[in-house]
Amino acid sequence: MIKKNFLPDMKRNPVYQREMTISSRSARLPVIILLFNSILALVAFLDMYSAVSQVRITAEIQYSRFLELYIFVALIEFILLLGLMPALTAGSISGERERQTLDLLLSTQATPAQIVMGKLFSSLSRAALLVISSFPVMALVFVYGGIRMVDLGLLMVLYTVVALFSASLGLCCSALCKKSTIATALSYGILLFLLLGTYVVNWFVASMARTGAAGYVNQVGGISAQVNSGQFFYLLLLNPAIAFYRIISNQAGNGDAAENVIQWFGARSSNFVLDAWIPVSITLQTILAVLLLAGAVRHLDPVSRRKEKRRKK
Amino acid sequence: MLKIEQLKKSYGNFRALDGLDMEIRRGALYGFVGPNGAGKTTTIKILAGLLSPDEGRITIDGQDASGADWSLKGKIGYVPDSFGVYDNLTTWEYMEFFAACYGIEGLTARKRCSFLLDQAGLGGRRDFYVDGLSRGMKQRLCLARALIHEPALLILDEPSSGLDPKSRREFMELIMEINEQGTTILISSHVLSELSQICTDIGIIEQGRMVLGGSMKEILERVDHSNPLLITVYRNADRAMGILRSHSCVRTISIKDNCFAVGFTGDTQDEALLLQQLVDAEVLVNGFSRQQGNLESLFMQITEHEEAPAIHYEGRPGT
Repeated sequence: MIKKNFLPDMKRNPVYQREMTISSRSARLPVIILLFNSILALVAFLDMYSAVSQVRITAEIQYSRFLELYIFVALIEFILLLGLMPALTAGSISGERERQTLDLLLSTQATPAQIVMGKLFSSLSRAALLVISSFPVMALVFVYGGIRMVDLGLLMVLYTVVALFSASLGLCCSALCKKSTIATALSYGILLFLLLGTYVVNWFVASMARTGAAGYVNQVGGISAQVNSGQFFYLLLLNPAIAFYRIISNQAGNGDAAENVIQWFGARSSNFVLDAWIPVSITLQTILAVLLLAGAVRHLDPVSRRKEKRRKK
Repeated sequence: MLKIEQLKKSYGNFRALDGLDMEIRRGALYGFVGPNGAGKTTTIKILAGLLSPDEGRITIDGQDASGADWSLKGKIGYVPDSFGVYDNLTTWEYMEFFAACYGIEGLTARKRCSFLLDQAGLGGRRDFYVDGLSRGMKQRLCLARALIHEPALLILDEPSSGLDPKSRREFMELIMEINEQGTTILISSHVLSELSQICTDIGIIEQGRMVLGGSMKEILERVDHSNPLLITVYRNADRAMGILRSHSCVRTISIKDNCFAVGFTGDTQDEALLLQQLVDAEVLVNGFSRQQGNLESLFMQITEHEEAPAIHYEGRPGT
């Protein structure tokens, strides 16, 4: 009898195995890896060449150039993960529906959880391949130092969470939407809201608060130091770009820049969430990813949906 | 083997199934027919675990299957009305994939895949990509795929739609072969002539209810007995008319040239006695047979809400 729960055992997950077989036949991923690493390698080569050329002229080495290279590679990888994961997952379940193979899968003993996990892990495997393939370029930064292995480890944790979160978002949209195009548009729309929308909402609320405070200041003739975007600021915990900015600023920029993030939309007094922004943000995004996956599984499972319907009655 | 009791399913205000009752015995090849929108596909999807019923009870081998228990999915093989194939897999990989979906792996899976591909006539095409197969081959592959876990009940929803006559015949032969090997089959189709040739049992559904069900042989016999007796005489038609008029089993008579169409309520023995009577009266009979009934005429009568002969057979037709 088939194992009901083989989430950790992807070797026994037929959906994962099939996805990997199909993707290994496609030239798309190797082409993306080639282009991605070619760009990284070219930039790295030019950057190092420029640094060495400068030494010949000025006889001084700017070690910060290598940290800039690290920031560049990390940023490109971050953007690629955010951009690629929904593309890999948003059409995965709706695509099965369009090909009319989803009913076949669901009529077998493969559970909806196995189907969703198979899709998730196959997209994560492809993303991991992309990140791992860029390690040689990233390793250049260790030639001159400046970044510790722990820093790289933290960045990898963030990448994993970002990949998991954006893949889960794509999978959930794919389970909910009948058409792949709609699922893709919806995933990118939500992702865009999290990246830009949360920032814009905070900026707008903070601007409104400042405008209101300015009138008050005119009336009482004082300065309001505590005007900010209020509780909306915590929406930024769901913004992967803010977590990335803080990590990179801490590692390769300056720590002050990272700390300044909490003052972006008005002054705030310190509290636990603001102090532990990165772990809280990563935890929240992981929880949200799990909820999105659970939503996708639930939507695929006719039995759960029936229970829900009965409960509503 | 399969028993459905009072199955109900609605989509919004539309009631697709309205208390469906149905029973399929083990080893049967059950034809499931009905007009479009009658509830066939809904019933099939519920059986395959793809939809949940609003009410009702389904039992397979006495086990409750209404809750879409995962272990029960192992007892059902499902072939939908669409092919549902992965074009970028070879036929062998396609079979192995579905074997893995049922937890069948290793040597057992390879043996089963090999046997089924051979049975479907695709043994020589195991390394072919699925998109390179013809429509008929794809459908046979789908059938082979549905049998990978040796299901007790195979459900086929419009399996021969879109196939050319040759492929359709091959497909139906394959279905009969699988049925002979002991698999109970539920087949939904609009090609009634084919169903009447291959099915052992039949169920006609309309507006979400079963309007007629039973063994194909019995139903067709009932249809035959409700059909007129066709008697062609060479000479002495008047004498024949006199005999027919006085016969207690004769209800209606219509005549064209020397051919009588007689509404006859008697059984086979009464038919023989009538023939004997005609011959004894020196009526030269050169044709004596029941007009052949078929599933199509029965289906049309039921779904067009005319008096169905199989249902009203025991009643006394008007003269």
